[in-house]
Amino acid sequence: MSLSETLAATGQTRPRVSARPIGDRVLHALTFGSAILVLVVLGGVFVSLVEGSLPALQAFGLKFLVDETWNPATEVFGAAAPIYGTLLTSAIALIIAVPVGLGISIFLTELCPAWAARPIAIAIELLAGIPSIIYGIWGLFVLAPFLQRTFQPFVIGVFHHVPLLNKLFAGPPYGIGVFTAAIILAIMILPFISSVTRDVFETVPHVLKEATYGLGCTTWEVIRRVVIPHTRAGVIGAIMLALGRALGETMAVTFVIGNAHKIAASILAPGTTISATIANEFTEATGDLYTSSLIALGLILFVVTFIVLAAARFMLHRMEQQGK
Amino acid sequence: MNAESPSDAVRSTGAKEKISIRNLSFYYDQSKALKGINLPLYERQVTAFIGPSGCGKSTLLRILNRIYELYPKQRAEGEVMMDGENILTSKEPVDSLRSKIGMVFQKPTPFPMSIYDNIAFGIRLYEKLPGSEMNDRVESALRRAALWDEVKDKLHTSGQGLSGGQQQRLCIARTVAVKPEVILLDEPCSALDPISTARIEELIDELKTDYTIAIVTHNMQQAARCTNYAAFMFLGELIEFDTTEKLFTSPSQPKTQEYITGRFG
Amino acid sequence: MASSAITIRRRFRSKVFMGLSIAAAGLGLLMLAIILGTLIYKGVAGINLAVFTEMTPPPGSEGGLLNAIFGSVVMTIIAIVIGTPISILAGTYLAEYGRYRRLAHIVRFINDILLSAPSIVVGLFVYEILVTTLGHFSGIAGAIALSILVIPIVVRTTEDMLRLVPDTLREAAASVGTPRWRMIVSIAYRAASTGITTGVLLAVARISGETAPLLFTALNNQFWSSDLNQPLASLPVVIFQFALSPYEDWQQLAWTGALLITLSVLILSIFARMITARKAQR
Repeated sequence: MSLSETLAATGQTRPRVSARPIGDRVLHALTFGSAILVLVVLGGVFVSLVEGSLPALQAFGLKFLVDETWNPATEVFGAAAPIYGTLLTSAIALIIAVPVGLGISIFLTELCPAWAARPIAIAIELLAGIPSIIYGIWGLFVLAPFLQRTFQPFVIGVFHHVPLLNKLFAGPPYGIGVFTAAIILAIMILPFISSVTRDVFETVPHVLKEATYGLGCTTWEVIRRVVIPHTRAGVIGAIMLALGRALGETMAVTFVIGNAHKIAASILAPGTTISATIANEFTEATGDLYTSSLIALGLILFVVTFIVLAAARFMLHRMEQQGK
Repeated sequence: MNAESPSDAVRSTGAKEKISIRNLSFYYDQSKALKGINLPLYERQVTAFIGPSGCGKSTLLRILNRIYELYPKQRAEGEVMMDGENILTSKEPVDSLRSKIGMVFQKPTPFPMSIYDNIAFGIRLYEKLPGSEMNDRVESALRRAALWDEVKDKLHTSGQGLSGGQQQRLCIARTVAVKPEVILLDEPCSALDPISTARIEELIDELKTDYTIAIVTHNMQQAARCTNYAAFMFLGELIEFDTTEKLFTSPSQPKTQEYITGRFG
Repeated sequence: MASSAITIRRRFRSKVFMGLSIAAAGLGLLMLAIILGTLIYKGVAGINLAVFTEMTPPPGSEGGLLNAIFGSVVMTIIAIVIGTPISILAGTYLAEYGRYRRLAHIVRFINDILLSAPSIVVGLFVYEILVTTLGHFSGIAGAIALSILVIPIVVRTTEDMLRLVPDTLREAAASVGTPRWRMIVSIAYRAASTGITTGVLLAVARISGETAPLLFTALNNQFWSSDLNQPLASLPVVIFQFALSPYEDWQQLAWTGALLITLSVLILSIFARMITARKAQR
């Protein structure tokens, strides 16, 4: 007997369920609300930053972006030095990290024997797990003195008589500075580049690579002619993702950049970045204009990283679509 | 093309139509996958949907319990009458509708729970039973699916620890536990070995004493073995419908003949 | 076939580049070894019972990190308690109810951006909405800043894990008449539970080391405090303060604190991997 017949025989009716079960309406509302909350948080961050920056933006206007002055006493502030420092450290970090990161992922996908690939990949990812403050103190107490003793004097000496380059690599060897910060950043973003490009490299169809090997191409040629063109959008996306990270990195940079509100010609000189400035000065800032200028710096950082990260996502998304 | 009217042999048995499919069409977005299907499913009989890949037999099956509604851009037009009501437009909530029309899928899909809970889960949705009665229901469902002896000592182990054939029988037990009126089987044996297949075919034969069954199958020998009626479909249309015996021995449509003799498929 | 000059050059070039990539991998591993090595060497030197039993000292005297450890643990727990339910629900929307809808695309996009956004900006946000309005720094503000960092991580992993649950399982649940919400709660969540837990563990690992968002929300507190409405000490902020100071005993405590944080992050990551591996075996 079917259930309805059984129930009918005993005089019961099948339990009636409402048109759309209460449970569904509740869960739908909860999940929908939470999803909206994510949007609200981002919107909230943006709005509160704009609100906090208004006094500074109104006082200085667009000049804020190019003025190097940073004078709490006279209450004149300009973002040029932090912006310059942020862009420069990130650029140098990318120049170092991209080849090394690509090298690591090429190694892991093409050269490394299978049994070693997983442990090595995990080890590289551990670099990503180390909190940035650890990089900060390591940079300050280990890397900076090391560079001060060895690398920097060497480089300063080598380029001393070379025009242009002697300005770029001028002393004195502080140890800390823009270049040191860039090296730390490079180590920090290395695992991102390596793991994302590795994922991206692994989407290249084996048959494609095998066919190319079959033609007699060397490993390097296969990578250069097949793997990279196939994954170009993904690699660019990975680089932009790493850039986005580098731009916003605070603690590691704060320890080693030297915190000087100056744009110097030499990359060995101390400087500052947006996040380092905020981290160092926010709690000490007196006066609304000072605080507002710091928040304005935060707004600039937020907007720039948003654009970079959005572009990164777009590139990675396009890569996925290509593969389909 | 419409169905051939059922042969006289069928009419004279006075078999009652449990489900009447009338002028049913189905659309994936803009493309029409099923064209004006007219088909009866007779009560307590096993009806096979056969045909080459892509002919729409699974699509048709999945309309009967409205499982297509889980996905966007899929819609059905027409009537599927059961007990005097069109289930496509019924006011009854689709969830309770689906508990009357059970489905077993190609790939065994035990819930991530114990064997006991797999069966009890569906029952608990609609009935509040005391412990001992639940135990009885679970046992009887497992017996019906010829699985009881193999699992009675490990009812509280995970359902996913069973072999493929056992998992499929668990899915059948789960389906019959909620006491449906109709059972839909979508190529239930295609992922299984021959021995498990044979056991499930025996099951189908036993189950038909209580349930109306529709089965999609690629395997014509299977259709010939365990079904009473057969519907041959091709490119979204119903080409021929008749008793299994007649359809397989003397089909009236040339296309049916070609499929049966393996000219294509 | 004899090797022509071109072929020899091509092979040489390939060997050079392959050598470079091996060197790159070696460099990466070397960096990891150096950093962890230094950390262990310098941090272990300061490990003693006092670290876990005494408060942060004024410069020049002995002490420990108890208040900082306590503050970090408390704020992390609160951040997880606040952030996880919201994230799991949002991730559920993306994977289930909203899967095919436009809004889900937008939320996913925004979520991914929040995932990599500078954490100092989050600190500024919470400062603006909580610290200025309440008029003082507080542990709860710090916890909320951390919870905002938790959300994008857990939303992403929840959605990914729920997406991995095969649709056939959902159809099977539907076919016995399971309502959507019941299917999600009793079946999808159960199937994805390991993955979602891993996501939460990874979020914990991530926020344990975060300093910037705490700098102007929870601030710091030299003394023992369990009042969430007041500034609260935390390991990362203490490390920041002590490392940049000229005092050796403070610097030593900074290294030890750094070691503690790194160890907990590593243990959490390993634990998360172990759970995933064990589930895969079953």
